[in-house]
Amino acid sequence: MKCVGIRVSSSDELTPPLPNLVTPVTEVPKWRALLANQLTVLLVILVVLMVLLGNHNSRFFTSSEMSFLLADFSGLVLVAVAETFVIISGGIDLSVGSVMAVSGVLAARAMQPLINSHTNEAVVLLLGTAVALGVGMLAGAINATLIVGFNVVPFVATLAMWYGGQGLALVWTGGQPYGLNPGAQTWSAATIPGVPFMSWLSLIVIGITIVLGLVLRKARYGRYTFAIGSNNFAARAAGISVQRYVGSFYVLSGALAGLTGMFFDIRLGSGAPTTGQTTTLIAIAAVVIGGTSLFGGSGTYLGTVLGAAILIVVQDGAIFVNVSANWVPVVVASVVAVASIIQSGRLRLRRRS
Amino acid sequence: MSETPILELRHVSKSYGSVKALTDVSFSAYAGQIIGLVGDNGAGKSSMIKTISGVYTPDEGEILVDGTPRHWKSPHDAIDAGIETLYQDSGLAPDLTIGSNIFLGRELRRRSLLGRLGFLDQRSMESQAMQELEKVGISIGAAKRTVSELSGGQRQAVAIGRAAMWAKHVIILDEPTNHLGARQSIEVLKVMKAARDRGLCVLFISHTLPHVLEVTDRIIVLRLGRIVRDAPTSEFTVESLLGTITGLNQ
Repeated sequence: MKCVGIRVSSSDELTPPLPNLVTPVTEVPKWRALLANQLTVLLVILVVLMVLLGNHNSRFFTSSEMSFLLADFSGLVLVAVAETFVIISGGIDLSVGSVMAVSGVLAARAMQPLINSHTNEAVVLLLGTAVALGVGMLAGAINATLIVGFNVVPFVATLAMWYGGQGLALVWTGGQPYGLNPGAQTWSAATIPGVPFMSWLSLIVIGITIVLGLVLRKARYGRYTFAIGSNNFAARAAGISVQRYVGSFYVLSGALAGLTGMFFDIRLGSGAPTTGQTTTLIAIAAVVIGGTSLFGGSGTYLGTVLGAAILIVVQDGAIFVNVSANWVPVVVASVVAVASIIQSGRLRLRRRS
Repeated sequence: MSETPILELRHVSKSYGSVKALTDVSFSAYAGQIIGLVGDNGAGKSSMIKTISGVYTPDEGEILVDGTPRHWKSPHDAIDAGIETLYQDSGLAPDLTIGSNIFLGRELRRRSLLGRLGFLDQRSMESQAMQELEKVGISIGAAKRTVSELSGGQRQAVAIGRAAMWAKHVIILDEPTNHLGARQSIEVLKVMKAARDRGLCVLFISHTLPHVLEVTDRIIVLRLGRIVRDAPTSEFTVESLLGTITGLNQ
């Protein structure tokens, strides 16, 4: 039989030249690259908003106004960063708002008798934090079990937790907040050597988000978060225990929602069942404005932080310039819409370059 | 060849219920060989590679790696024994950089306290990824680029480079040139040759017979779960190979 096969067999021919996989990088104009950077865009939006508000009324930059802003930001940023992990991994957690309420309510329920019996306040706060954290993690673990153990789609599993959590928060309070009145002074007005207690709390919150940001960008846990969202099968094939990691994202999200629930207990001086009613969607909006893909695999922690800051400035700024309270959600919604349009324009710009 | 085969299957059989997927399959593979594994759909190619890579356990027979009998409980065991498998379309994580993909699941940590906390040594991973890929014949420019910036052929080359870099003995490639254009396929075939020249045994599963004839040293033809032919590539042509696969020339 005649050999028609093309065959390379001499060992000299077996050393192939390196296939060159370098595609020429086209020069991108600097202004366009800068514009295409989502963080730049977000930062500019944030600064412009604040300057406009300050211009409107210089009272905006007073420390009382700023600390109010900081407290609102602290009540959002933890759940938004947790949501960033979940969404980058290809999932979603709709339950955070309700988990905040349930954790806050149960923490308040645990703290109330201790406060009434004048137990040391540090002990009370630590116990409340532990309860809130525990309840949040338990809720997250239930989400994780549904998603990983029973293959329930994250959207549905966490939607059920959101709805059930709202119900439980009402059941356990009878609709009335648990009042926490530690003596003459409320926690939100307290100062520890001259610095407001709330500012210390915000500092702790910011510390936690910085650690989480570093973990997302620099540590193996963050790397696997991206890998799982980018190509679940490849992550599995690389020997990553995908199930365990996916479960952990929901537990993390629950834990941070729990801590945020405790934050609101301290700030409001009560554990209210209505806490966090809009938080879930505002947190997801912050993540999306921040440039994280809802399909998973890509996103940044700084984007989420800036997204959260923008939403809080808009919300509080609207109140500050006397927009009627009922209109505030409409204003916030418009900003979400505009920011999304800018984001998609940015993506087009990047694709063209 | 008198040396110990790097991979040997002895009388391996596997069935699912009443369906016999593999019947009494035996062969030996040596280091520095590319072996083509061909056969029609349902001939047992998939069952064979899944048995070798630890996805399935054989009902009968044994698998030897470097002369030692091995029993896989999971794909992880096969990887630990030096067998890397690149499944069809399993590929890479497109949003991660090339370097991160190469080290996925085997990340290098920093050599400080931070490293013990799980923080990664990204710079070392990227420079090592570049060096190791060049050893198997892939030059990528910068390991910092994300995989989504690469073409299909480049991605496949990087995926094979990754397998070749970590495999101690055998890499199994399931249809690596599928969906690729002619030029891109050539890149992939080059990487396979480079892997062989580094002393690995490459099992190449493909339907594209010209590719199989071009790159392999030996071809194993499977039909209905049995090995019907195992011979040096020089004994085949496209026609004779096709005849053997379909069972027309016996």
